[in-house]
Amino acid sequence: MARVVLDDLTKRYEGGALAVDKLNIDIKDGEFICFVGPSGCGKTTALRMIAGLEDITSGEIRIADRVVNNLPPRDRDIAMVFQSYALYPHMSVRDNMAFGLQLRKTPKADIDKAVEAAAKILDLERFLDRKPGQLSGGQRQRVALGRAIVREPSVFLMDEPLSNLDAKLRVQTRAEIARIHTRLEATMIYVTHDQVEAMTMGDRIAVINEGVLQQVGTPKELYEAPLNRFVAGFIGSPSMNFIDLKVSNEGGVVTLKGEGSVLRPDDTMSVLLRDSGLDTVTVGFRPEHLEVGAVTGPGLDVTLTIDVIEFLGNDVLIHGSSGGRDVVAIVDVDNTLKVGDSVVLSATPRRLHVFNPVSLARMIGTG
Amino acid sequence: MSAVQAASLPAVTTPRKRRFRVRPSRIVINVVLAAVAIFWLVPAVGILIISLRPESAFEQSGWWTVFTAPAQLTFSNYKTLLSAGFSAGGVLDSLTTSLAITIPVTILVTIISSLTAYSLVFGRWRGRTVVFLLIVAMLVLPLQMALIPVASLYNFIGDTTGLKLFGSVIGVIIFHVAFGLPFGIFLMRNFYTGIPHDLLEAGRIDGAGEWTLFRKVVMPLGLPAAASLAIFQFIWVWNDLLVALVFLANNSHLTLTLFLYGQTRFLSSNYYIISTGAMISIIVPLIVFFAFQRYFVRGVLAGAVK
Repeated sequence: MARVVLDDLTKRYEGGALAVDKLNIDIKDGEFICFVGPSGCGKTTALRMIAGLEDITSGEIRIADRVVNNLPPRDRDIAMVFQSYALYPHMSVRDNMAFGLQLRKTPKADIDKAVEAAAKILDLERFLDRKPGQLSGGQRQRVALGRAIVREPSVFLMDEPLSNLDAKLRVQTRAEIARIHTRLEATMIYVTHDQVEAMTMGDRIAVINEGVLQQVGTPKELYEAPLNRFVAGFIGSPSMNFIDLKVSNEGGVVTLKGEGSVLRPDDTMSVLLRDSGLDTVTVGFRPEHLEVGAVTGPGLDVTLTIDVIEFLGNDVLIHGSSGGRDVVAIVDVDNTLKVGDSVVLSATPRRLHVFNPVSLARMIGTG
Repeated sequence: MSAVQAASLPAVTTPRKRRFRVRPSRIVINVVLAAVAIFWLVPAVGILIISLRPESAFEQSGWWTVFTAPAQLTFSNYKTLLSAGFSAGGVLDSLTTSLAITIPVTILVTIISSLTAYSLVFGRWRGRTVVFLLIVAMLVLPLQMALIPVASLYNFIGDTTGLKLFGSVIGVIIFHVAFGLPFGIFLMRNFYTGIPHDLLEAGRIDGAGEWTLFRKVVMPLGLPAAASLAIFQFIWVWNDLLVALVFLANNSHLTLTLFLYGQTRFLSSNYYIISTGAMISIIVPLIVFFAFQRYFVRGVLAGAVK
């Protein structure tokens, strides 16, 4: 159990490429935090620096109030689960899990007890004497988790541990990891490129892009109040729609217009837009927040020509374009919309996010 | 065709019928393989039979006559040869000398190559690739080229320090180790590059230092390569005549190859001794091969990652 603090953590490779740029995150004791971002964003590099597998260019890492910058991995009191599992192929499942404890000269009886206990949690008791090669992908992944658990580390580091599993197994193992976290109350740092994984598992999520931390917050905060356009587009599935609208101020009445769309701002939004002095803004709205039919009073109306309709069971996903921009909406299954139809969709001001088109930072929105 | 395959065939033909049908291509393959095997075995069988015939028989009839007159077979040659015991110049003394050279060389080359390869693949120092390329470059250096310079170097060391390398078993061992290393490092390095780095990182997090990683993770995984290297190295050194001839010629203890070479004459060589000695010298590599061959089996890495 430990607090992990990343203080201006930076990694610059020898070629000059900046992988992680001044990362500042304070991870609370017992917290489950997800590092999420597209591939190559530096999230894995950050994790490897915490693990001690990658040198730190500058900045500081503190685990349990101890600076670990120059400590080898074994002295950091961490365990790591690799994307590739990295099980020792020549050792049995039991030995794979016991290896770390054996190296720490733990008494054999204690090792056996720890391994049996971990095997029980992970339902691996039947496989203890098998080699990793004789196990399925899901079982191997559980062994990798078991290897981390038996060590009882202060911090668990997980590098995309589910990406090699099929969809069904992924959901199961996701729940398993969440259970382990509740049970052990250990600090967990979980790297993934899958925002759904991050949203479902993390107490908090750190969104990273191009080595720079975009936002840290609870899944709800990131969903409802993304700090910038990147976070807004990255979190949520299907992703948020964005359209550019021109701001016009006619006799003190602010209106935003685009090709096929109109936004009538409410009072607070009007004031902010007037004060910003911007000619154009980017407006974001989530597919699930669109309603069929125009809105009365303040809100956004988008006229959409439908290209594709996808049936999801309870809902229908409609793809179309409005003023040259692709727009996706989730609507009720009872609608009789057809491909080629032109439909007006609307969103209330509460559901709108307004971004500065240059800085991409969020100006207005909930939260 | 295996029973498993046959059982999964459609029920139109009974499994019994299918099991006994042999594909013509398999017959051809087996005939060719048998022919090659016989072709390769003829000289060895010839030597074995010569060693089992009386000394006088060699000049009277060919070894193949044994198939019609098996009564001529005798162990007398072996008795004569082994009767000298371990006295210097005898076959058992040569066997001991050969083992005294081959075993240390094999062990040293295998261990040093594995350690060097570990450093070249998993170490974090600059210039690893350059060092590896230099080692590969040494592979093309013919051994014969180094004989005279090394001999004079040994003599120089002997003259200045009193350490007798020329004419000694130690000198031969050093020479063989030096010339075995480039290939050994090359082989082990190429094998180790196939070991996922994740495994070592997992080991580092588990608490292993470099030495433990080498001993507990990399070496067990590299066993097939180390076993092949050990077998190759053993057989090369065991069969070496040239190095022993240069460095051990004036030593009272000879290697087996030198012993056999010593039995050749300009006009009439002692074929009964040569054939018997050759059979004795074959036994050791055969034992080594059968002891290590199971490590040739691949697939130890299956299940490491993914």
